[in-house]
Amino acid sequence: MALLEVHNIHTYYDHIHALKGISFELDRGEIVALIGANGAGKTTTLNTISGLRHPREGSIIFDGQPIHHLPAHEIVQLGIAQVPEGRKIFSRLTVMENLDMGAFTRRDRAGIQEDLERVFKLFPRLKERRNQLGGTLSGGEQQMLAIARALMARPRVLLLDEPSMGLAPILVESIFQTITEISQQGMTILLVEQNANMALSVAHRAYVLETGRIVLSGPAAEVRENPQVRAAYLGEA
Amino acid sequence: MGLRTGIRTGLIAAIVTIFLILIGVHMLMGRLLQSWFYVPAHWPGVWLMVVLLGLWAGSRAVGQMKARSWGNTLLAGASAGIIQGALVGAALYLLASITQAGVDLRAWLTQMSQESIAALTLGLAPLPAAGFIGGVLLVSAVAGAAWREWRLRVHAARLARGERTVSLRERLLEIPAVAQVSSNPLSRRVLMGVFMVLLLIAPFFLGQYWNYNLGTVGIYVILGLGLNIVVGMAGLLDLGYVAFFAVGAYTMALLTAPQPHHIQMSFWLALPIGVLLAAIAGILLGIPVLRMRGDYLAIVTLGFGEIIRILSKSDVLTGFTGGPRGVRNVGHPVLFGKDIGNEFYFFYFILIGVILAIIITRRLEHSRVGRAWRAMREDEKVAQAMGIYTLKYKLMAFAMGAAMAGFSGAIFASRNSFTGPEDFVLLVSINVLALVIVGGMGSIPGVILGAFVLKGLPEILRELEDYRVLVFGALLVVMMIVRPQGLWPASRPQLERPRPEEEALEEAPAELVEGEVGS
Repeated sequence: MALLEVHNIHTYYDHIHALKGISFELDRGEIVALIGANGAGKTTTLNTISGLRHPREGSIIFDGQPIHHLPAHEIVQLGIAQVPEGRKIFSRLTVMENLDMGAFTRRDRAGIQEDLERVFKLFPRLKERRNQLGGTLSGGEQQMLAIARALMARPRVLLLDEPSMGLAPILVESIFQTITEISQQGMTILLVEQNANMALSVAHRAYVLETGRIVLSGPAAEVRENPQVRAAYLGEA
Repeated sequence: MGLRTGIRTGLIAAIVTIFLILIGVHMLMGRLLQSWFYVPAHWPGVWLMVVLLGLWAGSRAVGQMKARSWGNTLLAGASAGIIQGALVGAALYLLASITQAGVDLRAWLTQMSQESIAALTLGLAPLPAAGFIGGVLLVSAVAGAAWREWRLRVHAARLARGERTVSLRERLLEIPAVAQVSSNPLSRRVLMGVFMVLLLIAPFFLGQYWNYNLGTVGIYVILGLGLNIVVGMAGLLDLGYVAFFAVGAYTMALLTAPQPHHIQMSFWLALPIGVLLAAIAGILLGIPVLRMRGDYLAIVTLGFGEIIRILSKSDVLTGFTGGPRGVRNVGHPVLFGKDIGNEFYFFYFILIGVILAIIITRRLEHSRVGRAWRAMREDEKVAQAMGIYTLKYKLMAFAMGAAMAGFSGAIFASRNSFTGPEDFVLLVSINVLALVIVGGMGSIPGVILGAFVLKGLPEILRELEDYRVLVFGALLVVMMIVRPQGLWPASRPQLERPRPEEEALEEAPAELVEGEVGS
């Protein structure tokens, strides 16, 4: 059984039918990429999983338990953490305070300390800057902080929304390396990206979204070879 | 371009000067100096204002200049002074001639009395008088320009020598004694102790009037600390905060007064009930407005505040609330059979309330709840994604803030022996919000200072009579331009600025586990 199963979800913004029956699943330890153009419904899908939005139809099963009716804070507690689009770090809080917020639902001090050391090992830059305000970090550092903050919840599934957004190519490279590293430590990752090339290079499997529907799915390598994907998302003629 | 900035500034300064003269501020300055510094006549104050306005014009003209040189400075100062002097002189000539012709200007300008104009003409004929005031302004403007240029040069030289510009705070810290006190926790505590003792014995010396006013300041400190939780910590803009103040006051009044309910409960019992009811009111208001933010929240809470006030004065509820006439003979606290309902005892009572409110605020600040509020204030959606149940924490913020308002309302009603709808006008909410902002949002000493400035200063300024509100408003405007972060902003000592190299502190992550982050 997959760790996260999404069955035929329909999500609306008032009258706008944003997700028109999306189904996919996420196995333990996998990186799954959701790729698609602006407005395809990628972020809405993530927000629906994390409970910031609720589907009008369909179900989301996490580790055998339906979670689509749960509020966001309970879903975090169950073990799904989201790195929001555009980083959205708390810019007037310090790096440490940001990380602290990530661990808000937890009470196990020893475990929090352990995870703190783990994320500092993953992102030594954050350790150097831990008493700086989040807003004074560079874009790349902010993205690191956003990922680290999500990891502080000790999630079983990490939802990554556009980690490459607005970053220089060299930073994108290093962020994706870290994502691979986190995955190798056993994390299950759902990755939403516009940078399809990058996403497909690290993902195991991929789903292609178009206006609220999944139009293509398969192993990342196969999706990458698909001529339509190459033309639409990889910038090849 | 010295000339152009000079002319522009001169025009502005002339308009300001003429306006101040027309509303009689020069006479006010004269009287103030007389009563505050025992100056025997009013003319020093009058001419002090004129000279200051000239200095300001010259200084401002130089400050606006781009190319810096002594020649330009002289040009800017002189042109500003000439324009200002000529226009003000012309205005004075007109005013003096009209008055001389026997027209009483007070029909249009209430402050333009004979002696108000005579204070400026010094008994001279209109033309020489105009020339004199023009000359004074010109000389002052040139002096102001030279002073500003000199200051700017000193400043530039300091920068050139590689010295940093120092703030007042840093300059104070250079004094050894100050540095020692501020770095040594013991001497800080001693200082606090001395301050506390002074506060404790103050009522013995201050007399009824100032005890009452200090009590009012204290009530506003509690209100400010409460609103600070809602606005400063949780980031929820509440413009109807007075509603909870009213709930506390009416609870106290209705439960302890002989009319209209004959309950006449003890003050000590009514006080916690008032606090509790205010907190419940906070939650009740919170529930419908939970999904609103920013402007919408402000409007809805504003409406709620007005609803409470209008309900309290409505004819339908007169039997229950006392209607527009309010509730009289509100009960006083009685301790050991003694009525302690005067200003003197209430001062201490309010002081205890203030200390309690400070302790509660500090505890909340560093707690899990405080952290949740801070995250919410920063970004509500992300706070949710961090696993913070925002609905719960919003309600908690409303309830806590409302409870503090309820407490101060209950004390307020008992101290005045009376409460009525007019105690709870919108202005109270605005005042409390203003004191939080003026003091420094999120900062406890800031709120206290803000309460002193907003509720204490108007009492001190009482000498200004009609101008009290004007001067006060002007002060607020200037304050917010010069110091938008507030008088005493929340400081965050462990904060670092971005720096290339940082010492590695291995033990620091313990902060996180201790939950002490962000004091």
